[in-house]
Amino acid sequence: MSQVVAEELNVGQSEIECVLPDTDQTPPFKMTVGSESIASFFEPISYGAARLREALRILAAEKAGLSPDQVQDSRAGFVLPDGTELSYATLVPSVPVVLSVSASLTTEKTMPRYALERKDKYQSIGRSWRHQELEAIVTGQTVYSRDVSLPDMLYGQALRPPAFGAQLQSADGRAAEAMPDVTAVVIDKENNFVGVVTDDPFVLPTATQAIVARWEVPEDLNQDQIDASLDVKQLRARDDLEHTLTMVGDIGAGRSNAQYKTTARYDTSFAAHAAMEPRAGVAWVKKDKVEIWCGSQDPFFVQRRVAKATGREVDDVVVHSHRMGGGFGGRVLCQASEEAALLSAAVERPVRVQWDREAEFQNNYFQPGFSHYIDAGVTSEGAISHWEHDFVSSPIMTGPVPENIAWVLDKVMADEGTARGGLSQYRAANRRVRYSDIRTPVPIGAWRGLGAAPNTFAIESMMDELAAAVGIDPLEFRLQNLPSTSDRLAGVLRRVAEISEWGQPAPTGTGRGIACAVYKNQTAVAVVAEVQVDHSASELRVTKTWCAQDCGLVVNPNQVENQVMGNIVWGCSMALKERITVEAGAVKERNFDGYEVLRHRESPEIAVVLVDSDAAPVGVGESAFGPVAPAIANAVFATTGRRIRRLPMSYSSVFSDANG
Amino acid sequence: MEIAINSKMVTVPRKLQDVALLDFIRDFAGLKGTKFGCGMGLCGACTVHIDGTAALSCQVLIAEAIGRQVTTIEGLAGTTPTGTLHPVQKAWIEDSVPQCGYCQPGQIMTAAAFLSRNPSPSDKEIRDEMSGNLCRCGTYTRIHGAIVRAAKES
Ligand code: FES
Ligand code: FES
Repeated sequence: MSQVVAEELNVGQSEIECVLPDTDQTPPFKMTVGSESIASFFEPISYGAARLREALRILAAEKAGLSPDQVQDSRAGFVLPDGTELSYATLVPSVPVVLSVSASLTTEKTMPRYALERKDKYQSIGRSWRHQELEAIVTGQTVYSRDVSLPDMLYGQALRPPAFGAQLQSADGRAAEAMPDVTAVVIDKENNFVGVVTDDPFVLPTATQAIVARWEVPEDLNQDQIDASLDVKQLRARDDLEHTLTMVGDIGAGRSNAQYKTTARYDTSFAAHAAMEPRAGVAWVKKDKVEIWCGSQDPFFVQRRVAKATGREVDDVVVHSHRMGGGFGGRVLCQASEEAALLSAAVERPVRVQWDREAEFQNNYFQPGFSHYIDAGVTSEGAISHWEHDFVSSPIMTGPVPENIAWVLDKVMADEGTARGGLSQYRAANRRVRYSDIRTPVPIGAWRGLGAAPNTFAIESMMDELAAAVGIDPLEFRLQNLPSTSDRLAGVLRRVAEISEWGQPAPTGTGRGIACAVYKNQTAVAVVAEVQVDHSASELRVTKTWCAQDCGLVVNPNQVENQVMGNIVWGCSMALKERITVEAGAVKERNFDGYEVLRHRESPEIAVVLVDSDAAPVGVGESAFGPVAPAIANAVFATTGRRIRRLPMSYSSVFSDANG
Repeated sequence: MEIAINSKMVTVPRKLQDVALLDFIRDFAGLKGTKFGCGMGLCGACTVHIDGTAALSCQVLIAEAIGRQVTTIEGLAGTTPTGTLHPVQKAWIEDSVPQCGYCQPGQIMTAAAFLSRNPSPSDKEIRDEMSGNLCRCGTYTRIHGAIVRAAKES
């Protein structure tokens, strides 16, 4: 964003400082989700900065006794016809200037917008600026939410409910209260909360253990039961799919027209965000104000939740935002701050609450599992004869709403997050796509890309199955079935084929697969993956990946490339590693031994090309990762002849009988 | 009972002998650059140097560090002859490695100790050595490249 500002103001990177505002310094802004920052803010930020520049130009003109059009741009300021330079610094009065948007509309129409207009001679946009925090990060100076410390601060921890939906019955804190450094034990049944505050961080674990809490656990819940309620076969048997995304033509007629037809089921697992920083917050509940220090993707949501938990007005809560060690959709809430607020209210001092890794795995919300069923075929001309796709998962966008609202909401709403990426890009005269979004007791919320990756996995796997069955190259098959309106997607498919030398024989022992998607109808991405099977080590490794992405104008190529690489790694991790399992009503995986994510050794070589474009910039934070898993699965097929229809996959799952 | 953290002597109170070095560094010495990720030796976020060797500070009890030299990310630059950024830190900046950045102090400490032991590692050695450090943002490719760069430039 600062590059857009720099473009409008003719300044360099070092002259811009980017600050994370507190909630009382700005009106509520859009939360950081859905990779929407660049798409939604490019235009308004450019506008704001251009207005500022023109306002300064008028000041410069007044000062020089000239008309504004005689005042020309210069670096970080203006130059007058006689060559005198006037820097912005000399023009800015010591009092803040508020620019009102409604001012003269005529000047607005003619106001130059460098970020939109001077595409062939950008000065900042399109350059690889280094992030201003880099030096602080590599020297350990950056203050993450977990690093916040206040004078006079106390240390708190909450007891964790032993299972989803467990209700606190009673708690006995006497033993803890008798300990020397314990300030208070807080038992709050209404908030289903029990926690302890100490003045010494090192006694916190012992103090927590000394509290005896009794919880009522709803019922014994296991993964099998959850999978059964999200089982597409069962829903199809009852013809009980709730929402129809599209229905065109006549599936039956298409099917009878098919030269080749098949059906397949695809499943993806529940998953966790597993950001490297377990969340933390410091809260200070004072008489007239509540202050929170934390990292969140939506500080205004944290503000509302804390207000509710502490019974204050929203305006009485201020949230100071800090850098987070990863979000990925998992840090819209900051439960640690809510806990800290409940504790601080009892002791009237600032209280810090830090979750450990186990708390992260047990107490956050998850990506739901998906099950898909696709019935599709190909005509003798190589066109898709019919495409019938049903899938089931849980509501994602409305996942976190409280139960009492959820049942009403579910009656009237189809969850768009669950459906994201569910409509294939390919032409099919006869098609129907339906889905159901069903709640289970597992808490659900946003996870990178929401439904996009699971849905892309099913669609792009089936495309590969069809291509292989009719003996058409998978790239060709995709290209010939894309409508002419999908030229950007066709473009990235061709680009990725070029850089990966698609069509050349893969090195022995390896195979290649391709997949593509358009993320949120905006960002077109294609991925080629190369997989190596090492029978002697019983190992399946993704050795290389190539990615072509069209995300419109690229403001900072270096950063976008880094994001795309992150997406590729995330996609490999989803394909090969990640699975959350519910056992006895709680999450079985407690740390990185049970819930594995991709490690350095397992990560592939990555080549990225960004398509040159001056179309409006769109999101890149989660766009490239959807096609990764199907590209890998398709590569496994290319090298082993075995179809992967369930994620995550492993060497042993590939060679189990079910995949023969 | 003292330990040296970044060449400064810190006295360890008797009652803190059983705490993990990581917690001591963060909550007693007040140095927040060393990160908590898992507390179980699984992620590498808490990596520091003890007498020049990389160690997972969440797995080291304070008692075991007594009398030894502990270097954290804040003190890494101070170990170079000029006292400016360590070559690994420079390479990290040059290649813009970090995304969220949270895992990077640990990555850098692991890489710095590794390169001092093995100044020109092979690709496979880098992969193996760095596999104890998780990065959820997926910066492995750039980490790898920055290590190669640091090896060349130092
Ligand atoms: S915090 Fe020490 S290895 Fe993860
Ligand atoms: S940069 Fe975010 S975890 Fe590594």
